[in-house]
Amino acid sequence: MARTILGALRAVAIALLLVACASPGSTASPSPSVVSSPGASDGAPSVGPTTSTAPSGTLTLYTSVTQDTVDAVLAAYAVAYPDVSIDVFRAPTGELDARIAAERASGGVGADVLWGTDPLSVQAYASQDLFKAWTPAEVDAVPPAYHTDTFWGTRLLNMIIVYRDGVTPEPTDWTDLVDPAHAGRVAIPDPGFAGSAFGALGYFASSDAYGIDYYAALKQNGATQVQAIPEVLTSVAEGQYDLGMTLDKTARDAIAAGSPVHIAWPTSGAIAVYSPVAVFDSTDNPGAAESFANFLLTVEGQTAIADTGWQPIRDDVAGPEIGGPQVAPDWNAIFDRQEELLRDYRSIFGG
Amino acid sequence: MAEGSRWRATGWVALALALLGIVAWPLFRLLSTAWGAGLGGLAAAIGTDGAAAVATSLWMAIVVTVASVAGGTALALLTERSAVPGVAWLRAGILAPLLIPDFVTAISWTRAYGPVGITARLTGVELPGLYGPVGIVVVLVAGAVPLAYLVVAAGLRVRSEPDLERAARASGATPWESLRQVTLPLLLPVLGAAAALVFVTTMNAFGTPVVLGRPAGVVTMTTRIYQDLAFSSTPEAFARVVALSALLVLLAVVTVAVAGRALAIRGERTGASAGPVAAHAPASRAGTGAAWAFVVLTVLLPLLALVLTAMTRAVGLTPLPPNLTLAHFAAALDARTVASLGTSLVLAALTAIGAVLLGGLATAVASRRGSGPVGMMVLLTFALPGSVVAVAILIAYGVTLRDTLAILLVAYLAKLWALGQRPVAAAVSRLPADLARAARVHGAGSFTTLRTVVLPLLAPAIVAAGLLVFTVAINEVTISTLLYGPHATTLAVSIVNLQQLGDPTVTAALAVVLTAIVGLAALGLLLLRRVPWGAAGVGLG
Repeated sequence: MARTILGALRAVAIALLLVACASPGSTASPSPSVVSSPGASDGAPSVGPTTSTAPSGTLTLYTSVTQDTVDAVLAAYAVAYPDVSIDVFRAPTGELDARIAAERASGGVGADVLWGTDPLSVQAYASQDLFKAWTPAEVDAVPPAYHTDTFWGTRLLNMIIVYRDGVTPEPTDWTDLVDPAHAGRVAIPDPGFAGSAFGALGYFASSDAYGIDYYAALKQNGATQVQAIPEVLTSVAEGQYDLGMTLDKTARDAIAAGSPVHIAWPTSGAIAVYSPVAVFDSTDNPGAAESFANFLLTVEGQTAIADTGWQPIRDDVAGPEIGGPQVAPDWNAIFDRQEELLRDYRSIFGG
Repeated sequence: MAEGSRWRATGWVALALALLGIVAWPLFRLLSTAWGAGLGGLAAAIGTDGAAAVATSLWMAIVVTVASVAGGTALALLTERSAVPGVAWLRAGILAPLLIPDFVTAISWTRAYGPVGITARLTGVELPGLYGPVGIVVVLVAGAVPLAYLVVAAGLRVRSEPDLERAARASGATPWESLRQVTLPLLLPVLGAAAALVFVTTMNAFGTPVVLGRPAGVVTMTTRIYQDLAFSSTPEAFARVVALSALLVLLAVVTVAVAGRALAIRGERTGASAGPVAAHAPASRAGTGAAWAFVVLTVLLPLLALVLTAMTRAVGLTPLPPNLTLAHFAAALDARTVASLGTSLVLAALTAIGAVLLGGLATAVASRRGSGPVGMMVLLTFALPGSVVAVAILIAYGVTLRDTLAILLVAYLAKLWALGQRPVAAAVSRLPADLARAARVHGAGSFTTLRTVVLPLLAPAIVAAGLLVFTVAINEVTISTLLYGPHATTLAVSIVNLQQLGDPTVTAALAVVLTAIVGLAALGLLLLRRVPWGAAGVGLG
């Protein structure tokens, strides 16, 4: 019988399966956390640890910050704290949050430090008491609007207007996105996917000058939602749309590479989203964890961040050119209104 | 037969352990965790606009399944049952999309057919409705046709029915009648397997619906799940991710089960033997022309658009010589990417071997067809979105296996077991039973019969299944993005890290490199000629 004969398949199957399962684990590839990339260690201001016992051991960092910035910061940190070795898990915010949720369901979060992209998801953890309350030595470097008791802003992401070469009239403020002259030619990022886009939604919705009606007006004017921040830039650069809402660093990088786009810094203010760092309460190496979180706020850490194109949180560290005023939503208020704001938004733009 | 039954018992135990460890335990842990976090948000999630997402996902998956199985079958009949000039090139062209990562497929189409794409720039013609339901369906069909083609072509090779077909023709049947009354009915298990795989894959599609659907406000279950995942820092959102995923799995599996039952062939398989395949009649000009037109429009043009994107100095510049550069390839191939590529190749190979072996084991001891209980069980984790598979595996094995390559392998097997099993199971149901019987009558033992009769006949399906699993595994992004560790970094992680830097030119370059590498590896395999004809025929030409 074919059935009987086929029964013999399993012998081979089992044997090879065992081989297949036995081999992994040690097949190590170069670690992503190897602090080898020459980052921004310029100036070499080797201000070592301020405490008497230098932090040491290993540290696990979970982050959604872009790879080049993480590399630069790790390189600078390794100079100041050579005894700490850091393992990095870097993923987009959604995947990072899913990993943390899964780990919390099975034996606890595997990270000592969280370095996020926007305050919302970090605030969710803070409100579940996952973070250690402590005060970094550099706390004064962070403006009060950009920190809480458990997490501190490390850099600012500015939501600005990007437009293509030759587009007229040239936009100057957010109201130009609803100008009939640009009907059907505006792209905005989907707040359901990116924290910074949600920050913009929160800002507009809770501002007296705009309100959620601003999104209704955008829709009325034929604005299109695309998934993510880089897609806004790409579609504007390629001419599918004329102008859109995107992040300053994304636009600056494209301009530097030669893309035919320009930044219009909104006269009423770019929407500033801060990228916070926090130490998990469950860390078993608090000394090293705090030293890393604090390092992000020091001049060296901030210089590394600024050198990869982000606006540092400290105003005594030179960063990219900021073209005008900055505004920010009340993060606490919009944190409580996340579901409601998204529902309002979706009732306008669909999905 | 004491020896045989002992083997059978061992096989059952091994299968049960594998099912428990890879499928059942992670699923159980996932559901119990979500239950603990409170499923209260589910009703709200489904109640409001969730129902629209369910409806959209379902109708799209059904349309894509019907269209791509029909298209894949037509192409398979053309290349396997008629003499087509340059058939090797045609096969390679049809299968090429399998090598392109899913998340760049939609991007390559927008660059080929979008408002500012190649055709719009050169001829002023663009694909109407590309951003919206029509575009999503078209791009998903183009991506699913090679999957259906691979399964059906392998099935056709496992047993041809030239005798029956010739008999039908000799009795006066037209080619169409012989196809409809002889070839297709005998092919039903294979068509069922292809349909099940395409349906579930489409329900799971994320890259295409999100890129082409968001501008039009189209929501599918996967984009909905991903949005909740982006807010999974709250327990409610996380519970909703699990609940919506459970609903997705339920819908997918019930649909496949119902359709499978409707398709199920009753009665004994015919006893016709696998005769030598007769010299094929030349293919019709129209058929060959249509096949090539399909390859040019759905494969070559989007691929060309991707290459042009990868070579353009900065996004938005016209891809003309002064603006072209190879710098993005260098940026895409830094030391880290190259190292992770090695890990990915090993992982994909292990997954392909493991999934085909597990599939073979399940087929051998449990059920002939994919539609048996075991077949449905492995479909559960196949239907689950990759991110949720990763979460389930992490909950089940995170404490012991976190940050190892082993946890990635377990997750990949959970996700792709069905992909390794279905083509093999479908092919087994087409095996001529009398050949194996003849071998046994002549004194061959189980192993000899397996080695000399069964495996050679199944080779095309086994190679096809392995290729499928390998290509999907190497292009898999979400699972490894969630599960990788410092000592197990895969290519997907490099891709996502690059992509998040925001420069589409570098991502495109990496996708082109990946396609070239996997394509060359497949070609190399062919040149070795160690595999029976299967790899050569159904592989890459």
